[in-house]
Amino acid sequence: MDQFIQAAIIGVSLGAQYALLALGFTLIFGILGVVNFSHGGFYMLGGYVAYSCVAFLGLPYPLAVLVAVVATGALGWVFELFLLERLVDDHLATLMLTLGLYLVVSTGLLTVFGPLSMEFAFPVTGALHMGPIYVPRENLIVLVVCLAAIAALWLVLFRTDLGRGLRALADDRAVAMAQGLRPKLLFPLAFAIATGLAGLTGALVTPILSLSPNVGDPVLATSFLTVILGGLGSLEGAALAAFVVGIVEAFSSVYFGGSIGALVLFVLVLLLLVFRPTGLMGRPVRGA
Amino acid sequence: MRIKLLGWTEIVALLLLSCGFIVPMFTRSVLVYSVLNQAFVGVIAAESVWIMLRMNLLSFATPAFMAIGGYTVAIAGQYDITDAFLMTAAAFLVPALVAVPLGALVLRLRGTYFVLVTFVLSQIMQLLIFETPGLTGGSNGISGVAPVTLFGAEMGTNRLVLEYACGLAMGATLITGVLTRYFRQHFAAIEENEILAESLGLVVWRYKALGFVVAAGVAGLAGYSLVNMLLTAHPSSFDSATAVDFIAYTIIGGRLSILGPVLGTGALVYATNLFGTHGQYAQGLYGVLILVVVLAARGGIVGTIAALWRRVS
Amino acid sequence: MTELRVESLAKRFGGLRVFQDINFTLPEGGLLGVIGPNGAGKTTLINVISGRQMASAGKVVLGGRDITNQPAHAVSRLGLARSFQQTNTFKSVSVGENIARAIRFGGRGAPVGLNRMMDAFGLTPRLAEISDKLPYGLQKMLGLVMAFASTPKIVLLDEPAAGLERTERQSVDTFVDIVRKAGTSVLLVEHDMDLIRRMCPRILVLDAGVLLADGPPAEVLARPDVIAAYLGETEEAH
Ligand SMILES: Nc1ncnc2c1ncn2[C@@H]1O[C@H](COP(=O)(O)OP(=O)(O)O)[C@@H](O)[C@H]1O
Ligand SMILES: [Mg+2]
Repeated sequence: MDQFIQAAIIGVSLGAQYALLALGFTLIFGILGVVNFSHGGFYMLGGYVAYSCVAFLGLPYPLAVLVAVVATGALGWVFELFLLERLVDDHLATLMLTLGLYLVVSTGLLTVFGPLSMEFAFPVTGALHMGPIYVPRENLIVLVVCLAAIAALWLVLFRTDLGRGLRALADDRAVAMAQGLRPKLLFPLAFAIATGLAGLTGALVTPILSLSPNVGDPVLATSFLTVILGGLGSLEGAALAAFVVGIVEAFSSVYFGGSIGALVLFVLVLLLLVFRPTGLMGRPVRGA
Repeated sequence: MRIKLLGWTEIVALLLLSCGFIVPMFTRSVLVYSVLNQAFVGVIAAESVWIMLRMNLLSFATPAFMAIGGYTVAIAGQYDITDAFLMTAAAFLVPALVAVPLGALVLRLRGTYFVLVTFVLSQIMQLLIFETPGLTGGSNGISGVAPVTLFGAEMGTNRLVLEYACGLAMGATLITGVLTRYFRQHFAAIEENEILAESLGLVVWRYKALGFVVAAGVAGLAGYSLVNMLLTAHPSSFDSATAVDFIAYTIIGGRLSILGPVLGTGALVYATNLFGTHGQYAQGLYGVLILVVVLAARGGIVGTIAALWRRVS
Repeated sequence: MTELRVESLAKRFGGLRVFQDINFTLPEGGLLGVIGPNGAGKTTLINVISGRQMASAGKVVLGGRDITNQPAHAVSRLGLARSFQQTNTFKSVSVGENIARAIRFGGRGAPVGLNRMMDAFGLTPRLAEISDKLPYGLQKMLGLVMAFASTPKIVLLDEPAAGLERTERQSVDTFVDIVRKAGTSVLLVEHDMDLIRRMCPRILVLDAGVLLADGPPAEVLARPDVIAAYLGETEEAH
């Protein structure tokens, strides 16, 4: 039973991290129709920026996280505005562009920081003990920040004009443009929000997991998994699926070990893609 | 109308590849052999990507089918089956057969969704290898694969291995060339306007399925060649991330003709080796080149050369 | 004998009923006009008959054979071709290659009268030109030629004259003449009333998804409900 609760807690906190990643990923797909292969790159970049701020500039960690969000958001904004924007309607081309960016970013990080893992520790240590169950404080903090970020994103998307504009663009670009929305303004912004979220996740999570120039690949794979499970382009779906993935991962690693949980999830995702590309939630998505 | 089986681009590609038979006459450098070997594997894999790209389908599934081809051969070797012809046929046919039901599933998807599903396929294959240690050796792989035999004679020397890899690459190029040349109009029509092609009576799914199955078989040959070069079938050889390399070879080389994957692979494998022991930095070069090609030189290396040529003449 | 029979055909997109209870027969070698205001469901009707979109109810019977919801390539192979309202060619290749593909994909060889048609449209001297570079009208005619080049028994035309100059519209007459001489029947969806009046012995009027009228144009176009359906619509509206 203790083990069960322990796994559930790990699962939920993984889920919150995945939700941040997946929300950004699905936002980009929903609004721009772009599959962002550089998502893992922004996650890593967020980690390295935060690390550099702490290690070289001596900034306090929370400030370092903030800098990481701004930096990744800014890079995303510039990339969308100057490169992606030119080819935004060509799905294959935009996919290749984000892939190219990912390769450049990860190699850049490799060149600057070397291939080894960084000594990047979370500033808060220790654990909360509740009877036989203990929860590391760092996980708790990450969970809280992730949930707060998700809530903030929700407020922006559903309670502000900006959010209404973004969602209108995701629903039907032609109609939204006819109503006077300006993709040229909103696309880079959407991309920046999404990459900023990836950067935030990286800055928060890499001190707990690890920070090296190859942690981007699994992040991309997990984002794919989550977003397809939730239905490409669906925000609610992505958030829900993130917790499903996190919990499945936690339980299968506790009870089965190995990668059987991931295998089951990927097969499920394959079947979903083929038979129900609208995902578990079943919201219609832009045409395949 | 006369339909050609091979055009000049295919012939030039084959001539370029035949350097694998010529180079050993002049050098025994292990480095040269190793670079050429890598390039031959890469060419085959890139041709597999290219076949699908002819129909505007970008596939990340190449490593998955390479794994099926490679492990087929490694497992057969454990039963003392080493005949080169048999192995080549198996390395092509087993992945191709696996691709038949898979194709029926995934070819309903187009564009972005097809990309995603092939990405998922290669992840699944990776996980399957780890989860089936009885068959594939799991994370240890299968080492000590016996060298292939040609008419009973073992092809054990570096030179023979290189020549065999060269032969495989030429064979794959021949298959790819004949397929894409014979069905040129069909593939081109699907690439450009699937709906129109279908309304004119083209049975689109049949050609997509054919392309997918042959691309899987060709990828299997790449996996075979890789295993034969390393004498090991290891999961890291078929890492899903390597799909990016083969896509880079194809896109940067140019997607307009078969010379694209051949020249692209040659150039990038050569460039990668210039980085020496720091091969991982080459990824940055691929990234920059992909950005350049997509933004400024849609035809890649081959397209750019062709454009320059037209300007000169 | 190849007649096209449509029985109680209906199409819905989710809650939106595009058309319902459509019945008509196009006899072998016949010519049937279809008119109706914008959004009446004409293009969707062609899409459903030709297998591009699924029928929600009803049947499409071609030469005694039920072809409802057969895939587009299968319908085409059975001898039913269609043109598209917008220009639709293989843009990056030459006119000649476009026509060659249509002949090859159709699998029935080139039809009688194809050369005469290309001459009449002025496409013969431009066989080597990239189709995307042709003027709009010629691209549209190339689309028609391609539908014919697959040697169909029936061809469905989706507003062939739309977007053409007045002087170019004569080409549509020429097309229909040549096609019918080859024994192919024609379903002509059109907005141009002059064209409809001078060509079609019989027309259908589709309005808001129902078949409003069916008969000779002189009779049908005089009916008050048909006039009402068109009220406010000019002939040039697309
Ligand atoms: N794919 C679709 N999804 C939803 N509605 C559609 C779709 N295609 C057409 N419609 C709707 O069906 C109606 C008929 O369209 P259409 O057949 O193009 O009319 P017409 O060709 O007579 O102008 C229109 O209201 C249009 O908005
Ligand atoms: Mg229409």
